[in-house]
Amino acid sequence: MTAATRPRVVPQPKDARGTSALGDLGMSVPPPGERPGAAAPRRWTNLPAAMGAALLNVATHVGGIGILAGRLFTRLLPLPSRRFRPALDVEVLMKSLHAAGNRSLPIVALTAIFVGGIMVVQATPLVQRYGATSIVGWGAGYAILREIGPILIALMFNGRVGANNTAELGTMVVTEQIDALRTLAIDPLGYLALPRCVAMVAMLFGLTIIGDIIALVGASLAAGPLLGVGTSSFWNGLLAMLDEWDLMVGLIKSIVFGVVIALSSTYFGLKTSGGAPGVGRAVNASVVASAAGIFALDFLSTFALG
Amino acid sequence: MSTDARASLPRAPLGADADAHATPPSDGGEGGEQAPPAAKPRGILASIGRTGLDGLGGVRDLYSIFVRTLYYVFRGRRAKGALAEQMYAIGNKSLFFVTFTMGCIGMIMVYQATMQTKKVVPELSLVGASYMQLVVRDFAASIGAMMLATRVGAGIAAEIGSMVVTEQVDALRMCAADPVDYLVVPRFLASLVMTVALLVWAGVVMFSTGMLTGYVVYDIELATFANPVMVNAGDVVVGLAKCVAYGAAIPIVSAHSGLTTFGGSEGVGWATTRAVVNSSLAVIVLNFFISTAGLMAFPPVK
Amino acid sequence: MIRTVGLGKSFGQPVLRGLDLVVPKGTLYGLIGPGASGKSVVLKLLAGLVRPDVGQIFIEGQDTTKMGELALQKVRAGIGFQFQNNALFDYLNVGDNIAFPLRRLTSAGADEIRQRVAERLARVSLPGFEPRMPGGLSGGQRKRVGIARATITQSPLVLFDEPAAGLDPVTSRKIFDLIRDEQRATGATAVVVSSDLDNLLATVDRVGMILRGALVFDGTPDEARAATSPAVRQFVHGLTEGPL
Repeated sequence: MTAATRPRVVPQPKDARGTSALGDLGMSVPPPGERPGAAAPRRWTNLPAAMGAALLNVATHVGGIGILAGRLFTRLLPLPSRRFRPALDVEVLMKSLHAAGNRSLPIVALTAIFVGGIMVVQATPLVQRYGATSIVGWGAGYAILREIGPILIALMFNGRVGANNTAELGTMVVTEQIDALRTLAIDPLGYLALPRCVAMVAMLFGLTIIGDIIALVGASLAAGPLLGVGTSSFWNGLLAMLDEWDLMVGLIKSIVFGVVIALSSTYFGLKTSGGAPGVGRAVNASVVASAAGIFALDFLSTFALG
Repeated sequence: MSTDARASLPRAPLGADADAHATPPSDGGEGGEQAPPAAKPRGILASIGRTGLDGLGGVRDLYSIFVRTLYYVFRGRRAKGALAEQMYAIGNKSLFFVTFTMGCIGMIMVYQATMQTKKVVPELSLVGASYMQLVVRDFAASIGAMMLATRVGAGIAAEIGSMVVTEQVDALRMCAADPVDYLVVPRFLASLVMTVALLVWAGVVMFSTGMLTGYVVYDIELATFANPVMVNAGDVVVGLAKCVAYGAAIPIVSAHSGLTTFGGSEGVGWATTRAVVNSSLAVIVLNFFISTAGLMAFPPVK
Repeated sequence: MIRTVGLGKSFGQPVLRGLDLVVPKGTLYGLIGPGASGKSVVLKLLAGLVRPDVGQIFIEGQDTTKMGELALQKVRAGIGFQFQNNALFDYLNVGDNIAFPLRRLTSAGADEIRQRVAERLARVSLPGFEPRMPGGLSGGQRKRVGIARATITQSPLVLFDEPAAGLDPVTSRKIFDLIRDEQRATGATAVVVSSDLDNLLATVDRVGMILRGALVFDGTPDEARAATSPAVRQFVHGLTEGPL
């Protein structure tokens, strides 16, 4: 199961990303630095150095994700070497679409209905203070469509599908399945990574639409008992003051978030090393990086899209 | 009894998302109401229903871990330094992440909200005061806790899950160290303290970046924006109650995912996934109930 | 003495169906059987880490299957367990790993602990390894640290799960010698699960074979080699033809 019990093989010169041998080479190599330094002494005087190291670390990952994005993109291009077809395995793509959608739909639905309710609960003191019951539908609709809907659904999708993608790819790396694909002359990026990435982007887009609808329904249901705003006046307020662009902004954001989750989860999955604990660390790093990326790009796209 | 049997049992994962890979086709008692035992329930409704039923079983297990954690908080023996180490891992190591994400969301919220307010009321003097009330009452705790659910929840589940599949948890039990006492309690206490601290900090960051956005984009004076007139005791109580509830829920939910890990490296991956989803979900559900309770306990002044 | 009566356990599908095992006090007992026959599960059942579905387990006359978790902790304190994958705590260094059972289970002082850890490490030919982290050790070194940890409390019952898996022949021979010397010196009861039949049969006092969840053979190593039952004969001699 782990490196220790696997039959030992003579270390072969491998691809630079040779992943499996890490445990077996332990004898001559000092304890791997990847251990999250549980007992190591920490000094506050090292703060500038630590911050610099953290910055370099972030830069390394951002760069690595950029390179991965480039390599995935070239596989989407119709090149002569591939008879003008993208290197996308359609069968895997269908499976990935099914898995990504199926896995996250219940969780997205549950999240959305509560989020709709929470929006109204939070707005209650403000609305009652100003007596602005006529704009509840508009306020809830604006917040859900443009901001809260895409973000929260992306965060849940990140936890469910993104983390799962990292876990699956990471497991394939540590159990040498990726190496096995390479020896069969199958390109792991085109065969494994690309379909999953495409599926994640497409599915997050679709789930955001569904989630938006459910959240709005949840909000309109909560508005009645809490604020005395009837369902019809809720929807009238919403439809009168919002236009297609408000919906579009949220959907464009969901595509951006989908790309972030797809790239970061694939990157950290393929970078996994160190057996089962390594897979756990990779998933952890992936969900954290995706969440940070989602907020950073939300910030940028909010200002870019006005 | 409940966890020791489960730690080594290959059974369906507990919690809100039964995974298609790990769940045997016929889900025995839990899914039995929905489908004939041989066929896996299909369709959206069935899958939502199954999720709900699994969720109920998960809640029962969570309750058992929670009670045992509380027992050992008072009766257990603590390893030296374990608490400080967990406080460092949960608190200090999340600081940058929380600061960054909450800073971003603070700017976005004030930017968007002010733009909309301008359409209805030309007067922007109360934007800051309303924003402060919302930050104190909800945003700081709930959005910050979503971030912590990702960062801390995944970390706890990955660590404990790795220890389960490499038999380290069994080795602990051979040495009379109950995993709940030895692993969960330090994380629980550390999370309780550090979550409250981090979420208060998250509120400060969020409000400050929002205030700066208001000043830079909409020319709202800083002093006008930082107006605490709308924040009352009820808001503070609700906000702090949320901090404490999230701080307790995240480690329990994630440790439960970790302790129920089975299988090899896939198992650890699934446990981590489950921890992120379930603790985020716990935050959202708790938020709904605490907010509603807060609304009833401290009715808004008209 | 260890005795199990009609032990049954299933993980989705049945693994053990009515296992009756007797390990006399003070013997070094080897447990053999084909892959996935439930040998490791037997060890975990004996240690109370897994609960049986049916049947009873008597450790020194006490039925552990009826015990609660707290009572089981007391029984486990008298058992040393070497795990298949060693289960070294990867956040503790080698010295702290080996000292862990002493710290948790005994009231030994710091000096005594340091002394006993050093003696244990010398015993497994890893002197001076205390400050190393488990992540930096080779497979064989990790195994030996695991054995040192399992034996440091000198428990009256020690369970070894594949102590020699994945090791070269010289190292595995040394590990079996170590297990036997240790057992002779303390007079403990020890159960060893191993697929390394040559070394196992040369080391143990008695051997039992599990097949399809039940004990199909129990006797001395010589009796095992001379067994007439086709399955046991085939397994012990490593023949390709036979009922297995």
